Amino acid sequence: MRESYTAAVERNVVCGRDFTSEPYEAAWADEAIFFIRVLDPNHKGKLAFTAEISPDGMRWCAQGSTCEIAEGADLGFIRVKHFGGWLRIRRIDAVKTEPKVIVYLNLK
Amino acid sequence: MILNERCFDKFEPLPRIIYHADFDTGYNGFTETIGNYEGTLDEIIPEMADFRPPQLSNRPMWDTGTAGSLDGTYALKLATRPRKGSVAVCTKRLTWTKLSRIRMETWFGIKSEATELRLSETDVRGFGFLLDLQDDRLRMLPRVRYLHARDGQKIGKWQVKVEKPGKRDIGTRGETVSINHYADEGYADIPNGQHEMCGNELASKMNWHYLSVTFNLATMRFETVRCNDIVMNAESLAPFEIAIMPNLRGLLNTIFFVETDVDKRAYLYLDSVLYSTEG
Repeated sequence: MRESYTAAVERNVVCGRDFTSEPYEAAWADEAIFFIRVLDPNHKGKLAFTAEISPDGMRWCAQGSTCEIAEGADLGFIRVKHFGGWLRIRRIDAVKTEPKVIVYLNLK
Repeated sequence: MILNERCFDKFEPLPRIIYHADFDTGYNGFTETIGNYEGTLDEIIPEMADFRPPQLSNRPMWDTGTAGSLDGTYALKLATRPRKGSVAVCTKRLTWTKLSRIRMETWFGIKSEATELRLSETDVRGFGFLLDLQDDRLRMLPRVRYLHARDGQKIGKWQVKVEKPGKRDIGTRGETVSINHYADEGYADIPNGQHEMCGNELASKMNWHYLSVTFNLATMRFETVRCNDIVMNAESLAPFEIAIMPNLRGLLNTIFFVETDVDKRAYLYLDSVLYSTEG
């Protein structure tokens, strides 16, 4: 049976303008999807996130995959392939809102 | 269950093996732990709201690359946040089948994130193992902890939590209560339980150690705690008890945790876990 796992890498945390999720090791997986669930249904503006990869869990660069979550929407996702050993996401929009979020990382 | 000869060589189980978690084969049912809540996540005791999901790690180091596990590539990794006092906890949930001895064995290692070019041997505050259990008489959360360091000083001693944490009401429906039994308090030292572990010479070097914890579900006491060649008797220490709760008869969770003493991530790595019982 193929291994798969969903990690709640962030749960009910405030997602400010400088938000990054905690580093997560995923070297065993071939593919990944981050799901970003916005818990505040009245968040203002369009939120945007990008996936980041790292050789060591300490130094990070953009992987290139991004997503946007429109005002009023509560769920977005970022698909990632060919990511090496570490994954996280970074918020990249300039909207002045700080909603609470849950970030799931689904690996298989 | 199929166990190869190498598995038997590195463990000394009781007669009935309930599970063998080799993390080269996956997460093996270990999941993140979370505090109780009613209706909203905001009701979780803050100290229990963020115990971090376990990871499968091939133990990559910035200077030497992948270290791997004891007899394979992947280990289960618990990682705290980089914040002093942060705790990471993972659980495998099952039930007991007989009130007799149980034994948890693991090959483990501890280290902090190698963000500094120094050994950093006092970053990890401690790590440990606990059971969350209930029979017809009582509910108990018996735990052993290796208190590794505090406030920049190496300590290195095994402890049992003996003082009962306070019960805290959560939510508004009255269905659930919660206790923060992960607080850094209420421990008593196991007699002759002080020893040093091999911390090696660089932040990126970690050595595997053996841990065996035997608990008696009939007497509700730890018996032996063994770390490599150090064998301790913990029978004189009574773990704290709490009143039985609805819906929990038969409960037996096997739980590992790690704590950081500095604003840096602390890691507990488990190569494998073998859980066995007398019957």
